Amino acid sequence: MEWITVLNYPIYLAIFICIYGCLAIGLNIQWGYAGLFNAGVAGFFAIGAYTSAILTSPWAEGRLGGFDMPFAVGLVGAMLLAGLLAWPIGKICLRFQSDYLAIVTIGVAEGIRLVARSEDWLTNSARGISGIPRPFGDLPYGRAQLIYLGITALILLVAYVLVERQAVSPWGRMMRAIRDNESAARAMGKDVPYRRLEAFILGSALMGLAGALYVHLARTITPDAIDPMLVTFLIWIMVILGGSGNNRGVLLGAIIVWIIWSMSEIVTDQLPSEYALKAKYGRMFLIGLLLQLVLRFRPEGLLPERLRKDPRDQDRPADEKSAASPAAGKGVN
Amino acid sequence: MDIHSFVNFFLLPGIVQGSIYALGAIGITLVFAIMRYGHFAHGDLATFGAFIALAFTTTLGLSPYAALPLAVVATGVFAIVIDRVFYAHLRALPKIITTIASFGVALMLRSFVQVVWGVNTTSYTRGITRPENWFGIRIKSHEIVTLLVAIALVVALHLFLTRNKWGKAMRAMSDNPELALFSGVDNAKVISLTWIIAGGLCAASGFFLGLNTELKSVMGWNILLPTFAAAILGGVGRIEGAIVGGLLVGIAEELSVLVIPGEYKVMSAFGILLLVLLFRPTGLFRGKVL
Amino acid sequence: MKMKRILAASLLLGASALATPTLADVNIGLLNSITGGAAAMAPEITRSYQFAISQINDQGGLLKGDKLVGTLADAGCNPQVAGDAATKLVNVTQVIGVVGPLCSGALMAATNSATIPAGVLLISPAATSPEITSLKDNDLVFRTIPSDEYQGQALARTLLDRGTKKVAVSYINNDYGKGIAEAFKKEFEAKGGEIAGYEAHEENKSSYRADLAGLAQGGADTLVLLDYGDTSGLTVLREAIENGFFENFVGAEGMKTSAPIKAIGSDNLKTFMASAPVSSKSEALDIFNKAFTEAGGDINSSYVGPSYDAVFLMALAIEKAGGDKAKLSESLRAVSNGEGEPIFPGEWKKAKELIDAGKAIDYKGASGELNFDANGDVPGSYALFRVEGDDWAVETEMK
Repeated sequence: MEWITVLNYPIYLAIFICIYGCLAIGLNIQWGYAGLFNAGVAGFFAIGAYTSAILTSPWAEGRLGGFDMPFAVGLVGAMLLAGLLAWPIGKICLRFQSDYLAIVTIGVAEGIRLVARSEDWLTNSARGISGIPRPFGDLPYGRAQLIYLGITALILLVAYVLVERQAVSPWGRMMRAIRDNESAARAMGKDVPYRRLEAFILGSALMGLAGALYVHLARTITPDAIDPMLVTFLIWIMVILGGSGNNRGVLLGAIIVWIIWSMSEIVTDQLPSEYALKAKYGRMFLIGLLLQLVLRFRPEGLLPERLRKDPRDQDRPADEKSAASPAAGKGVN
Repeated sequence: MDIHSFVNFFLLPGIVQGSIYALGAIGITLVFAIMRYGHFAHGDLATFGAFIALAFTTTLGLSPYAALPLAVVATGVFAIVIDRVFYAHLRALPKIITTIASFGVALMLRSFVQVVWGVNTTSYTRGITRPENWFGIRIKSHEIVTLLVAIALVVALHLFLTRNKWGKAMRAMSDNPELALFSGVDNAKVISLTWIIAGGLCAASGFFLGLNTELKSVMGWNILLPTFAAAILGGVGRIEGAIVGGLLVGIAEELSVLVIPGEYKVMSAFGILLLVLLFRPTGLFRGKVL
Repeated sequence: MKMKRILAASLLLGASALATPTLADVNIGLLNSITGGAAAMAPEITRSYQFAISQINDQGGLLKGDKLVGTLADAGCNPQVAGDAATKLVNVTQVIGVVGPLCSGALMAATNSATIPAGVLLISPAATSPEITSLKDNDLVFRTIPSDEYQGQALARTLLDRGTKKVAVSYINNDYGKGIAEAFKKEFEAKGGEIAGYEAHEENKSSYRADLAGLAQGGADTLVLLDYGDTSGLTVLREAIENGFFENFVGAEGMKTSAPIKAIGSDNLKTFMASAPVSSKSEALDIFNKAFTEAGGDINSSYVGPSYDAVFLMALAIEKAGGDKAKLSESLRAVSNGEGEPIFPGEWKKAKELIDAGKAIDYKGASGELNFDANGDVPGSYALFRVEGDDWAVETEMK
């Protein structure tokens, strides 16, 4: 048995965890800090992926492209366009309760998927875009993957550090204030709609970045890579299980959920084929059930949001201290 | 295009599809109004209802129309169970958490259908049914049934909400929950009632969708966006709004093929939703804005 | 936090070790679309794969009596799922070759992520996108199914030969539908036909009447429906027949399944035809059909012939290369490219003896001659089928 090649798979998994980690942090900004329910994560992922693909791939007949830009330009372009798309959506929906945002973002993701499937001149529709470069991609298999893991891990680290710093800064406190008690924050003169929009755009940009990272890993993109189940729902579980409002928590959630997801596939693959199909859909069922269990027994997630210690907390009884959820302070509505 | 083709190929399918949306939208608008959150498992509950009806036809040998009432009741009861198990303990938390939970329930319902009935497309009947010709209008028998049953259900609901004690209690809770509580309205009973009605209507919606097209595990999720758009278009909390909204969305979807390429048909519902939110968030009949 | 990471990593390695097989077997990966858009076709294709494997093992196995073991994995008709599955197969199960996947997008991801970098041979029985022809694959990607380019062109020519000069086209909005529709349109118009309506449609819609009404306005009486008979193709066909939009209907192999016959009834399908790839010499096909039906398979299921051929060819190539991964591509070409003793489906023992004796063989597959060109593609030979009773019967060959 060649151990070197066995390591390739965990490395591949780790790259995916970094990409999902990026998505999770992006969603954390939107949900954990600002209480926004973005059910269209897949759409922003797709925008980032396709933008980077179009910017970095060589010329192809009948399609917008041929810019042949370097990797970094692809990443930046992906973030810009994803953020740009978030702006009008945010402006329309953020005035209302999050349920409206949820259904609109579902529609947005569906719309983006349709555009990707239908517009030849832009995305080469169903055929997709191939020949997307990967930095150091021409090296032997194991080494190329390892290098790419290094790149994605580095980007994830930078994103994590930047977001964490914002979270503990006055900006972060302000966002939490808006989330927990909007009227008070407004009374203090905070521009609530603007801040919410800011969080939405920022989170979407990170999701676009994740899309770009994916596309350079796979080196092709086709519209069926934007599967709402895989992208959107798994990210939500990662954030909720890991701990909304806590970046380390969501990263932990990303690791756990992706490993469970991948390992359960190894298990179900061993089953005889009559049961394999049922088992595969059973996995989805279990993931949905997992979400319910987390919401019931530990809605704050594995690593709850770390609130700055308030000296008055020593006097308060324990069950008042920990927030049941990031937005518990909003109260029954 | 002559009036003939217009009615037969655009208007009529739009009305039939619109009735299906309307049945789902009523449930959504009720849950929005009484429990104050968006129920994202609504579509997959409709799928569930449709497949339960299928199970009744295959195991009990009933005709589809006979299986419908059974499926309606079964799904209504099942909806209460879902609420008890998955939503009840979240009532004290912000409503958005329950919305997230409903997302998870949607996934569970869909996977359950996939595990039990598989992913292949099936239908209630075999063969094709040619439409009948009534004064130049071509309509199939099960389309007529769809419309009639939808009308019957809506009328029944209307009578219930206006004449019956519990129906009035529901309306009270929808308008002003605190006041309703003070007046002695039993919160829990009203919620159970809401779920029976929403679940039953879901089953009808799914059944007719399956009857008019095919049954597949993602059928309910595919109509989620249009039914939500219909509910919001009509005005949250307004039953008559949900009905009108449903019909409008259904017709708009069919007509949209004339102006936009066929692949983007489903985007017409989305477009309507955006327009409503931009220009008239309270909807046509001035419902609540959450 | 760190403890958790270490724990997770060791769990993963442990699980990987568990999944790695023992040494006396020859492992190939079987990628199939167990979940996802092509799931309806999966069970019969799996049966076809297993059928080939069991025939080979029953007749002595590979190399020095090693068992051929196929590890089934789900590609989900989705790039991410397929990439993950292929990476596992290549690195954890350490397969020497991969058969599948079915969907072209999944194939692109699986090959780019795993099989090409790792130098593993891949043969797909069902991925028909023309994009795969131009894939930079170091000669590691082959298909036993012709690219849709050919079928679309052949269909266009055949319709014109039969006197159908004006058609409307409705295709499903994915790489299959689009690929074949475009090839059809180009050839049809180039040879003088008229396309009186050309629209894509999404699957999962409840009514296509509006789309059909729009298409019918062009005045054609024949609808070319490029879709799957198990899903939206069925809905479109049914609505078109019920409402009398068109007189004649033509589909491609996606429509040539038992579902339309079962759901709509052969009486109503008298004017419905479908094209599908066939072997021009039908002897190999007959042998395969007989054996597969005896083993309980449904020969009308999509791609069962090419799936069988893919596995059989893979085994022949492994035998010829003596189990050496690096020589698989050239061995594959050697056993199928036209020179040598003909070998038909099921003749494993004979083939093995000849190979071991150093003689050349030429496999004639159930799905065709399978002489791969420089890109790893096979040219297509097709036939047009009509519905007869509960089944399909050949109407005419297509040029």
